[in-house]
Amino acid sequence: MLRLSLASATVLALAVPALAAEIPIGHLADQSGATSDVGVPYAQGVADALAYVNRKGGIKGEKMNVEMVDYGYQVPRAVALYKKWTGGRDKVAAIQGWGTADTEALSAFVTKDEIPYISGSYAAQVSDPTGASGKAKAAPYNFFYGPSYSDALRAMLMWAADDWKAKGKTGKPKYVHMGGNHPYPNSPKEAGEAMAKDLGFEVLPAIVFALAPGDYTAQCLTAKNAGANYAYLGNTGGSNISLLKSCKSVGTDIQFMGNVWGMDENAAKAAGEAANGVVFPVRTAAVSGSTAPGMAMAAEISKVSDAAGTAYRPVHYYTGICAALYMTEALAWAKDNGGLAGPNVRKGFYQKKDWVPAGMEGVCVPSTWSPTDHRGMMEVHIYRAKVSGPTDGALPDLMKAGTIKLEPVKTVTLPRKSEWQGW
Amino acid sequence: MATQSLIPAGDYRTTYAADTTIFPTAGSRYAVWAGLALLCCAPLVLDRYWLSLLIQIGYFAVAALGLNILVGFTGQISIGHAAFFGFGAFASAWLSNNYGIPVFFAIPLAGVMTTAVGLIFGLPAARLKGLYLAIATLAAQYILQDFFARANWFTGGVAGTAADAFSIFGFSFDTDHRYFYVVLAYLVLTFVLATNLMRSRDGRALVAVRDHYLSAEMMGINLTRYRTLSFGLSAFFAGIGGALYAHYLQFVSVEGFGILLSIQFLGMIIIGGLGSIMGTLMGTAFMVLVPEAMGWITDAVRGSALDRALSLKDNLSFLREMAIGLVIVLFLMFEPDGLAHRWRQIKAYWKLYPFSH
Repeated sequence: MLRLSLASATVLALAVPALAAEIPIGHLADQSGATSDVGVPYAQGVADALAYVNRKGGIKGEKMNVEMVDYGYQVPRAVALYKKWTGGRDKVAAIQGWGTADTEALSAFVTKDEIPYISGSYAAQVSDPTGASGKAKAAPYNFFYGPSYSDALRAMLMWAADDWKAKGKTGKPKYVHMGGNHPYPNSPKEAGEAMAKDLGFEVLPAIVFALAPGDYTAQCLTAKNAGANYAYLGNTGGSNISLLKSCKSVGTDIQFMGNVWGMDENAAKAAGEAANGVVFPVRTAAVSGSTAPGMAMAAEISKVSDAAGTAYRPVHYYTGICAALYMTEALAWAKDNGGLAGPNVRKGFYQKKDWVPAGMEGVCVPSTWSPTDHRGMMEVHIYRAKVSGPTDGALPDLMKAGTIKLEPVKTVTLPRKSEWQGW
Repeated sequence: MATQSLIPAGDYRTTYAADTTIFPTAGSRYAVWAGLALLCCAPLVLDRYWLSLLIQIGYFAVAALGLNILVGFTGQISIGHAAFFGFGAFASAWLSNNYGIPVFFAIPLAGVMTTAVGLIFGLPAARLKGLYLAIATLAAQYILQDFFARANWFTGGVAGTAADAFSIFGFSFDTDHRYFYVVLAYLVLTFVLATNLMRSRDGRALVAVRDHYLSAEMMGINLTRYRTLSFGLSAFFAGIGGALYAHYLQFVSVEGFGILLSIQFLGMIIIGGLGSIMGTLMGTAFMVLVPEAMGWITDAVRGSALDRALSLKDNLSFLREMAIGLVIVLFLMFEPDGLAHRWRQIKAYWKLYPFSH
């Protein structure tokens, strides 16, 4: 018994975590939850970029102490972590966030605590810093890198309307919104349906399918029987793969449009020919294999977690890099201009227009944030997944052989309409 | 179960009051007072991380106590406890958001509302036993979870709802340092309540139902009434715990109340000790602290010689999850009667030292 008590006391003493005095940064990642299929590469991109900045001397000579935590896509866990990060003496200077539900839940907290929050969620609801649009609550400390989900869908619908005409079809095309009953797939639903109506689509009742992989034959039959021509997939890769496979076996003739998280190289490999022809927005101006000038730095960053430099990096990885580097540049500006307090870091985001982090030219899309508008970009790069054969084998080989291709289809630049802000 | 008594030889009880006292020895009474005094000082010395863990232990323990009344004392089973915990959270947020009821009153009211829901879902308990009842409570879990996701008016639907901070006369308990006292007050209150309940006629009836329902019925105990009542009581504590949780996070989302949390509640009371009030608190602390402790250990190992030698890297976080499972399994194998039992043995050891019997 004495020995047991001693042993447990020793374990407790050893277990006390070490403290480090640097710039504390919080990083919420989904590595085990419903969106981990895309959460893992994105979080890796963020982590590698931050580690790379640290290696190069940190933020103007001061290193960041990044705490990355897998929160399993659970809002309550995200809120609890946020509380841990923002209390006491080691309050974080900024947070790299993830999901829509947790970003929205934390929005009021980060506003109150003045913590810049760079999210992996592009919900339009957190793109209005003043709340002047009347469509969403003010979210002055929320940022994201990419077109909002709603704007991306608007752009794809514009493309779809042209596509319908280009194919020489007549009559009203039918549009359906598909996705889980969750804030993330629901986020662009209203905006998309309103836009579809404006563009002359017939809008069908939305179809719900879960955010996790499963058998979605019933949903595909519903869409087929309703005669849908264009469908938006609001979920992430994993569940979209299941749906695409089910729809292929059912034999639907639907042009699927994924959201930014809805399709990538891994999903195309997993879905095989079912993924052929799916269009989706890509948030960077380059994908793996491009020769943009910024790809050299991206390759260096990639070596942080893959010293051999052989790992294949899907689109989400590059997006993670950009999201992290915008934040570090805002932090660097703040450090030179009055310190790392939240309001200063926020100002750091407003310093430049059409701005690309140094060294990432041609990869990160020029973005602009202003005190009244947090829609970083209105440019939507639409790509199409092309799968031309069996997708067994390693992803880098499939990409090299061209069995899987990401083809640029169109770049739509949306007008920065004030009535579109916040929804 | 260990039954070593710590009452000194020759200490005879001559009244029922003396026999049913909560603290059999003066030492145990002083220890509890000293412990409470220490806890009251905790916010002065602990940082927010540790306080948040203590708060977490607090609200989970209140809810787990309810489950222990149901499972440990009455011998019923429930694998839907998280749903009641969630209902309390939503109810409290709903009351304070929509009816302007101060959070101070919303928390007990949420407990009452959850009791009503618990009584409804407890009705099958009057007829069902064992595995059949387990499945009925599983149904409660799914029905309530689905209700949370759809009832926009009540829960804000899948997007969740905000909950106000706890406040009295305009003084807001919105930081961990302040909210700790709210949780502590509720923890003490509910534990005293449950302890007294178990000393009462109704409490003994519940235990009788657990130990031998036929004998209990022959003694005139209304089985239906007590089995349903047990569900109501259990839901009451779950509701209070849930409400405390809601006003701590200040946000409630349907995602927090899945079947996994229900199983965790069961884990808390099994590890702590079925049918032990003190064990409930120990088990909850164990379940909250083990993942954290595993986290500290993996953090310490990360980048160390051991990590490099075995090239663990990213696998460390998975090792952590597996280790939590392993610790629990080992615990159940070597300590099946729970922490409360071990605690009694530790006390007996020191009492009898240097003799072992």
